[in-house]
Amino acid sequence: MEIDQSLSEILSVTTEINKDIDKNIKGKKVKGVEEVEEVEEIEEEVDIEVLEEEEEDTCYIHDNQYVLILLPSGKFGVFHTNDIIGKPFGHSYEIHDRDKIKIIRNVAFREVDETDANNKETIDDPSKQKLSYEDIEQLKKDGLEGQKTEYSKAKYIKRKEAKFSRVFTPVRPTLYSVWEYFHTKNPSKIREMRIDSLSQMLTLANVRAYSKMLVIDDTQGLLISGVLERLGGYGVVIGIHDGENHNFDIMRYMNFSKKIYNSLRILSWQQVFKEEIQAPFNYQNESNLSEKELKFYHRKKANYERIESTRELLFKGGFDGLLIASQYQPESILETFIPYLRGSRPIVIYHINKEVLMNTCVHMRISRIYLNPTITESRTHPSMSTSGGVDFEKISSKRAKLNKED
Amino acid sequence: MSFLQYKTYIEEGDLVIAYITRENMMPLVVNPTMTYNNKFGTFKHSDMIGKEYGSKISSHNGRGFMYLLHPTPELWTHVVPHRTQILYIADISFITTYLDLKPGSIVLESGTGSGSFSHSLTRTIAPNGHLYTFEYHEERAKAAKQDFERHGLSDLITIECRDVYKSGFEITDTVHAVFLDLPAPWDAIASAKRAFKQRRIGRICCFSPCIEQVQRTCASLNENGFVEIKMFECLIRNQEVHTIPIYTVKDAVSKIKAQQEKKRKRREQDGEKDHTTKSQHKQEPPNLYVSKTPTEARGHTSYLTFATFLPILDE
Repeated sequence: MEIDQSLSEILSVTTEINKDIDKNIKGKKVKGVEEVEEVEEIEEEVDIEVLEEEEEDTCYIHDNQYVLILLPSGKFGVFHTNDIIGKPFGHSYEIHDRDKIKIIRNVAFREVDETDANNKETIDDPSKQKLSYEDIEQLKKDGLEGQKTEYSKAKYIKRKEAKFSRVFTPVRPTLYSVWEYFHTKNPSKIREMRIDSLSQMLTLANVRAYSKMLVIDDTQGLLISGVLERLGGYGVVIGIHDGENHNFDIMRYMNFSKKIYNSLRILSWQQVFKEEIQAPFNYQNESNLSEKELKFYHRKKANYERIESTRELLFKGGFDGLLIASQYQPESILETFIPYLRGSRPIVIYHINKEVLMNTCVHMRISRIYLNPTITESRTHPSMSTSGGVDFEKISSKRAKLNKED
Repeated sequence: MSFLQYKTYIEEGDLVIAYITRENMMPLVVNPTMTYNNKFGTFKHSDMIGKEYGSKISSHNGRGFMYLLHPTPELWTHVVPHRTQILYIADISFITTYLDLKPGSIVLESGTGSGSFSHSLTRTIAPNGHLYTFEYHEERAKAAKQDFERHGLSDLITIECRDVYKSGFEITDTVHAVFLDLPAPWDAIASAKRAFKQRRIGRICCFSPCIEQVQRTCASLNENGFVEIKMFECLIRNQEVHTIPIYTVKDAVSKIKAQQEKKRKRREQDGEKDHTTKSQHKQEPPNLYVSKTPTEARGHTSYLTFATFLPILDE
């Protein structure tokens, strides 16, 4: 039972690698998340040729796919990403002969012998130091300091092993592993959302195939990713984003199929409101345009039509659930989207600060169109070290929005 | 009515979750000849037909009302006839995510119990996944099977009455995830291992209330070659929100003064009531939104022991 390893880097296996088959890609192998920006353009091109069979696909490492690599904390070698393409996820590899890899047998945990040793007699006083200089040097050589229980020795060995081993593990991007990566690396990016709260949001909002969901996502796409995955390409999600262009950056690490992406529609806050009328599109006669102009024209036109049809879809209403993880006041968000929700449908709101949700809770009670608003807070053990004492809170009008006629 | 798709209007034969209060919900199958009685009065089923889910209906003597909700697996866990200990929302949610369940997943569950978790699982893996679920108690297996049929889930669920300790699951190379809610999961782990799709990564979760069970489970998972053995415990805490007035020490002084004044007046006027002093000191203090945890809350439910199945390799 160990939780001390962390996902250190995100690796993207891109087309680039495909072209450079059998070429040493040393130095390029591990792309930090910052560097991934460069890869973005290549990603877009690849987007079109998505493989058809999704299910079996996700448990093998393919090219043009994101992969998380679990690395030891210390020095690390070089390997060819081509050597892991086509392999199933799950196994760990050890680097040998400079840049060759071999599969290693994973060891779950070793048996720890119980002893009577404990720290009861350990007193912080130099005169109690019974060990000679030589003794200490010998202990240092052995890699163990002072009197330890077998449990702490085992822990220590494990830590040292992790540091000096040249073992890495390709990790399949799942909602859990992608969350784990961002939560470790940059928790504010995902509004410090914990995986248990994300999981509860998806369950409480009854997210499943064949539903029509509204998602207000300021978690860089983490929440949207969860919803899209649970829809599996059946149904539709409208994602509302902050700013002019969407920032659902996390989505791409999930290796979603074209089918899944097709269930996503995106609107900015400006496009959500009926009174904010879009500048009408200037339709032109296509035969008068040069090839270059035509390409540009088509893109503009498609974009305009995409937004218009998404607005229509929203205004038509009949949505099955509302999930919110936003920086904006929940009451104002509710006011905006409640007309588009059906009766007896769940609303789930996440916020890192309970106080914000307390206001929302009182608002919901007074307005009488909601049933049973509840704030819950949850914890998962063992997590003290990973959450840094930050709690999340969330409110869930679990039971439903009521019919407004009543 | 199906747990796999929402509908808007209530029809005859549909399941409705009648919401009276948060603690008091009741599953009703709409039958026009029936009535439902509670302390708020009589509700005719025929009044529900044609109503939109989410509607409020009043009782016939006008003493009360209730809401008609669309069933979801989560509401079902509240109203399921408790034939066994069931899983709660925090555990259900975490297990679903950790086992990486989504449309298309193939899952093995043992035992079925009251079938409440089976509802949640099937909701998530629909429309193209499958659940194999095993229950050794014959009556419970029958009851669960009936529920699945009524709730439109039976196409996605294979339920079998079987003692898995004795005869194993007899499923090989099929599932992506395994969930064991058994008193002795270690006796079923070897058989569960064979049930996994052998050439892909898989996840197992063992649900046990006692730490001694966790220890034996971990040892067995380790012996059977499972890796990444981790144990979690999920806790959920409700927060009750209230609006309370916040008085200052000046209010405390005024309160005493008011009392003294009252006494003095009473002495002087021999009990004759005077309201002027009271209203003089009464000032509405500012309100504050506060929250607290309930005095009694559900604590430990179970430990969740997870492990990863590694794909077999061609040598």
